[in-house]
Amino acid sequence: MTIITILGFLLIIIGLWGMLTRKHLFRIILGFSIIDTGIHLVIVSLGYIKGRTAPIFDADLSPIDAINRIVDPIPSALVLTAIVIGLAVTALMLVYVIQMHRHKGSLEISDYEELKW
Amino acid sequence: MVNPIYIFVIALFSAFLLPVIDKLGRKVTLGVFYLSLTAIFAVTLLWFRAFGEGALIENIFTAGSLPPFSINLRMGTIEAFIMLFVNFGALLGAIYLYGKLLENKVYALMLFLTLIMGVNGLIMTRDIFNIFVFLEITSISLYALIGIKQDARSLGAGFKYIIAGGLASAFLLLGIIYVYRITGNLNLDLIISENPLLLSKGGLIALFLVVVAFLIELKPWPANGWALDVYEAAEPGISAMVASLVAAGMVFVFYKFIPLLPHSWHGMLILFGMLTFVFSNLTGLKQKNARRLLGYSSIAQMGLLMAVLLLVRRFNDAMDIRYALSDIAAALFVNHFLAKAGLFWLSGIINKEKARDWSFNKQPVLVLLFAVFIFALVGLPPFPGFWAKWTLITKLAQYNMIGWIVPIIIGSLLEAAYLLRWFGATIKREQTEQVIIPRYKILPPLLAAIVLVIIFPSFAPYMTGMKTMFFFPLLAAAVLWLLDVMPERMRGMVMILILAAFGWYIYPLAKGIVLIFEFMFIAGGIVISLASLNSARPKQGYWEFLVMLIMSLALIPLAKSSMEFFLAWEFMTVSSWLLILRGKNGEKPALTYIMFSLGAALLILTAFALSFAETGELGLVLLSNLNIYAIPVYILLALGFLVKAAAMGVHIWLPGAYSEAEDEVTPIFAGMMSKISLWGFILLFGYMGNKVLGIFELPVLLGWIGVFTAFFGALMAVFQEDIKYLLAYSSMSQLGYMILSVSLLSHLGWTTALYMSVTHLFFKGMLFLAVAGIVSRIGTTKMYEMGGLIKKMPASFISVLIAIIAVSGVPPLSGFGGKWLLYTALIEKGWYLQAGLSFFAGAIAFLYLFRLIHTIFLGQLKARFREVKEASLWYIVPQFIFVGAIMAISMFPNLILKPIMAAVETQFPSHVNWDGYTVITALGYWNGNAVMMITMGVFMVPLIWLLVRVNMVQKVEQFNIVYAAERPDRPETTHFAYNFFAHYQKAIGFLVKEQITNFWNSVSEWFHSLSATFRHIYTGNGQTYALHIIIYIVVLYSLLGVK
Amino acid sequence: MEHGLLISIIYAFISLSVATIWGLLLGGIMMKVVARAHGRFGPPFWQPIIDIIKNNARRTSISHGIMYFLGPVFRIAGGMGTFLFIPFIYGSMVFGNFSFAGDLFLVMYFIFFGQLGMALGAGESGHPYSAIGVARGLSQMTAFELPFALSIISIVIQYGTLNITSIVAAQQGGILHWTLFTNPLATIAALIALQGMNMHNPFSIVIAPQEIPIGPPTEYHSNFLGLLQTNRGLFNIAKLALFMNLYFGGATNLFSMLIKTFGIYMITVIVGASFPRFRTEQSIRFFLGVPTVIGILAVLVTGYF
Repeated sequence: MTIITILGFLLIIIGLWGMLTRKHLFRIILGFSIIDTGIHLVIVSLGYIKGRTAPIFDADLSPIDAINRIVDPIPSALVLTAIVIGLAVTALMLVYVIQMHRHKGSLEISDYEELKW
Repeated sequence: MVNPIYIFVIALFSAFLLPVIDKLGRKVTLGVFYLSLTAIFAVTLLWFRAFGEGALIENIFTAGSLPPFSINLRMGTIEAFIMLFVNFGALLGAIYLYGKLLENKVYALMLFLTLIMGVNGLIMTRDIFNIFVFLEITSISLYALIGIKQDARSLGAGFKYIIAGGLASAFLLLGIIYVYRITGNLNLDLIISENPLLLSKGGLIALFLVVVAFLIELKPWPANGWALDVYEAAEPGISAMVASLVAAGMVFVFYKFIPLLPHSWHGMLILFGMLTFVFSNLTGLKQKNARRLLGYSSIAQMGLLMAVLLLVRRFNDAMDIRYALSDIAAALFVNHFLAKAGLFWLSGIINKEKARDWSFNKQPVLVLLFAVFIFALVGLPPFPGFWAKWTLITKLAQYNMIGWIVPIIIGSLLEAAYLLRWFGATIKREQTEQVIIPRYKILPPLLAAIVLVIIFPSFAPYMTGMKTMFFFPLLAAAVLWLLDVMPERMRGMVMILILAAFGWYIYPLAKGIVLIFEFMFIAGGIVISLASLNSARPKQGYWEFLVMLIMSLALIPLAKSSMEFFLAWEFMTVSSWLLILRGKNGEKPALTYIMFSLGAALLILTAFALSFAETGELGLVLLSNLNIYAIPVYILLALGFLVKAAAMGVHIWLPGAYSEAEDEVTPIFAGMMSKISLWGFILLFGYMGNKVLGIFELPVLLGWIGVFTAFFGALMAVFQEDIKYLLAYSSMSQLGYMILSVSLLSHLGWTTALYMSVTHLFFKGMLFLAVAGIVSRIGTTKMYEMGGLIKKMPASFISVLIAIIAVSGVPPLSGFGGKWLLYTALIEKGWYLQAGLSFFAGAIAFLYLFRLIHTIFLGQLKARFREVKEASLWYIVPQFIFVGAIMAISMFPNLILKPIMAAVETQFPSHVNWDGYTVITALGYWNGNAVMMITMGVFMVPLIWLLVRVNMVQKVEQFNIVYAAERPDRPETTHFAYNFFAHYQKAIGFLVKEQITNFWNSVSEWFHSLSATFRHIYTGNGQTYALHIIIYIVVLYSLLGVK
Repeated sequence: MEHGLLISIIYAFISLSVATIWGLLLGGIMMKVVARAHGRFGPPFWQPIIDIIKNNARRTSISHGIMYFLGPVFRIAGGMGTFLFIPFIYGSMVFGNFSFAGDLFLVMYFIFFGQLGMALGAGESGHPYSAIGVARGLSQMTAFELPFALSIISIVIQYGTLNITSIVAAQQGGILHWTLFTNPLATIAALIALQGMNMHNPFSIVIAPQEIPIGPPTEYHSNFLGLLQTNRGLFNIAKLALFMNLYFGGATNLFSMLIKTFGIYMITVIVGASFPRFRTEQSIRFFLGVPTVIGILAVLVTGYF
């Protein structure tokens, strides 16, 4: 387990903590983003092979010797997808918060409790 | 065959096309939109048909290479099946949302399409990262769609949903990357075939993370508050989709991962599924918001489905697993899918938040739809849920997983409690305003209901080998329903004709004891039904349920297999419940009745399941071969029948059910339906005989229950002020005698039971019909408000007089035969104390019988009834048919005793001799004919003496009585009627304080309090919900023992 | 039936007449004894017969309706029937009655026939005291029927038959063969129940003079009352005959019948003269207490030991 992985998990925990303890909607979203970032770090770190380069074909990297020179390309591909999805979710959450504020004028999560039991 | 990849192509292409063509107008856009959904549905339909014709599973590899270098999709039978419903649901959902889609921005259409695409992808893909992608596509589209309804509540709910979904996704992503790390692979099939996860360090943790993410998506109890909020607040059309097609996708993904799960996890996951089923339903009990209630039910059903998917894995036969999947899981899925979506749609049409504000009983379409969906969810026949529960419980018993039956029963009962309560309340509430039904909104639930009805045969595997006649009750009801245009009396006559034809049809099938029961049900049914012809006023549903009830009663004794028995039993339960519900104040009693009946039915079902487990077949005959499960089956069946017989302790449903049902129906309940429990005991004892548990002989125990039922029933009848309650308790008491005598397991005992049961039909029929006639004229059932009616209603009086003489067992009428047989049989068997107590009970019967006839017919006539007329002939004629029957069998007891004795002789050797009209037993003798003659003789002598001097008799007016030198004031103060047996109450009334009612009330209260306590975990706070999820994951992690 | 119908009817008529007259005289004796106990002179012991003749000779009567009219008919038919189903004198042709029609249970249940009919007739009169009396009577009846039924069950177990003639036959051959000695518990329970059936003090709650003036028959008079009074004598004997047959060895001739029924009746007379009246609920509780326990013991002793 590399230092990056550990860092990633640390971020996840921080994000989780933020999500569970902060009352402000934006901070909850921030917590969520931090979790996402942490996960992305973990993904990338798991695919990393020491001393190798990014799996991008260009002038320096031809497909022929790629197999020996690049890190595992799949996590990299996955992380790209995950980032995009995370972005979309974050954006959607922000839109929600704007709309919620418009309807109720509050950004406290505890003000949205009328649905219960 | 069309490549399923086109589903994505169609969805994506039109999703991008829509904003462009939206310039041409929304109608055009919607046209394209619906066209694409239809196309997607058509593709799955084609595939489904192909699999039906034997096509092989198709794997689609993308990017022109094989896994692990490509993402592959799979189209198999199961996929096609699920997708068929998903895309059908999508189409219906889109139609339902037509109005919303018309006025919203075009993005809603695009989101809808991507949502559908996501779910289809979730079902087809075999790549775990791809699963994540499709999950996110589905979720994001859904989040956005929830937000379309722009109000604070749905936005709040949506936000909570995003937090929960986001957390689940986070764990999923972590799990996936570790699975990849450990297996070097993302293809599910390759991972399954190698399954290195189970061996490697950390593999299980990775797997756990993936699985738990989907568990969260399945909304497990108690980490599901966010889902409830969405169900409640979102646009109902969207809630419908969350509950049906999105849930379908999630369940199917979970199903895909099952082969990966280590066996050690199964038990715990099943437990969590069952917990969800039980506790969601429990929490639902207190719910008042209609959609949230549906949410609880949805979550519960998903928990059950999840548990079932894992449970079937434990069947050790591959074929069995296959069949279990289609017969249980698929049936449960379809049932829930259509019913729940339908109910959410309905909730959108009604558009009332509180469940108690629903009222539409003047709009039959809505009533019918509501009924279909609720009945399907509760698992009543013929809907798929019924067959699924049957198969599930049978299979569980077969594979020795009896313990799991318990939560299924408890959860089902809880769910039935709130759903049927809701149904009852809604149907009974007077509609004040018209519900406006847009055509596009009613079409989807209508189609869902139709599909639910017409597909049931494909989920009724046990129907093969079952006689078609067991569906006649349904058919007859349908026919009468279609004849709704006819005048009401005509329909009634058609119904009677149907009954007669049915009787003619089944006559050759019935022999011996069965024939006696068929005689009671068919002949009794026809005679009593005559009374219902009295009014020409339209009675919605009346004839339908009545014919269903009578026919299913008649079918039960004809059942050869437990399946046939149970099906007819359930038809009987449902139809009788609906008949009670039709009564003016029927709502509460109907609920109590159906709860007890369903409980009894589930006990019986479990017994049959155990029998099936041991013998491997459904034949009722095989009950006699039971060995291992003999005692439990015996006890369960006995308990079930005791509930139906309203024995002491479980009788509290009876007074309300009998009394609040319509007056013309009560004689059928009391005279006929109650006897079905007697048939149950005959079946039980006939096949299983005597069984000993520890030091107790079970029939002896049942006998004691019977005699206490007879005693307490009589005692409670004494203290009633309402005439129908009095008769109801009297019926309970009479049933007690029958249980007692059938438990004797002797020739005389069974003869007694059958004799009593036939005569009881006659005199209870008379009494209840007489009461119906009286109530129809004077409009009250309170006895102390009546009085002196003998002069107004002499025919009714004669009928009641004959009936009470017969009930009380006073010679010379037929009731004495019953008493005589009973005591003789009891003493012959050595049940002396039981005989003593039944004698006491018989004496108590005099109290209520006298009170019955006195307070109604004798005493002082009230001023307001001076103009009352005799009851209509429709009531009188059937009563006098019964009077004739009673007189005939009193005069010639042989008429009925000989066939009964002959029938019973097939079971027990007879020690009875006949000498002309004299029955001779080892103990005593009885000549009914001579008694009749002598009685008539001794009656004539003084009568003639009085008649000789009748000229000197002068008739006087009502108040012309010797009244201790006072002038009687008013009839009300002179008619001694209220609290007639006050001193009796003072002396031994303490025996019948409402302890048992209180007990059952506190059971109900306890469940409700529990419900109230548990639902407080749903605080409404998004963060709390997130915390629930984290705690759930931690708890599950430690319980599964993942290391 | 060994003899023709007409003969049976004639025999039955004789049997009924003897029983009725004896029953009425017993009632008169009761009145006399009670009067002497009170320190009065009392009416002559044939007074009941005079009353009947007087009532039947009345020139007018009124009716409250058909059921009211039929009430006394039911009542006396019940008394006659009950009596006729009991073999009055063991081995006698004339006093054998119609006991071929049914056994002990028939008799026990036929007792109710008259009571029910009477209650109905009284009910139609519309007099509240009638209804109150009936309510009391029925309540008390359920209570004393319990020890009585237990006692009956006990002797049925003992003799293994429900046939009254056979029960009497089994008691022949000396006083020690009587149920009174072979099954004292059952006898005691039944005798206590009999006090309730006879409805004299302390169980006179039904007619309860001074309280609900004569209860059920309040509205009856003239020949209706005459029938009721006739029945009182007949029914009295029917009960006594039943007890005599079941517990006291029956009677093989008219004389022993007279002695035995007189003796059994004297118990009621003595008890009646000695105790004041119970309240209704006290009476009910009384019968459901000690007598019932004795009855249960009787059943347990004969049935299970």
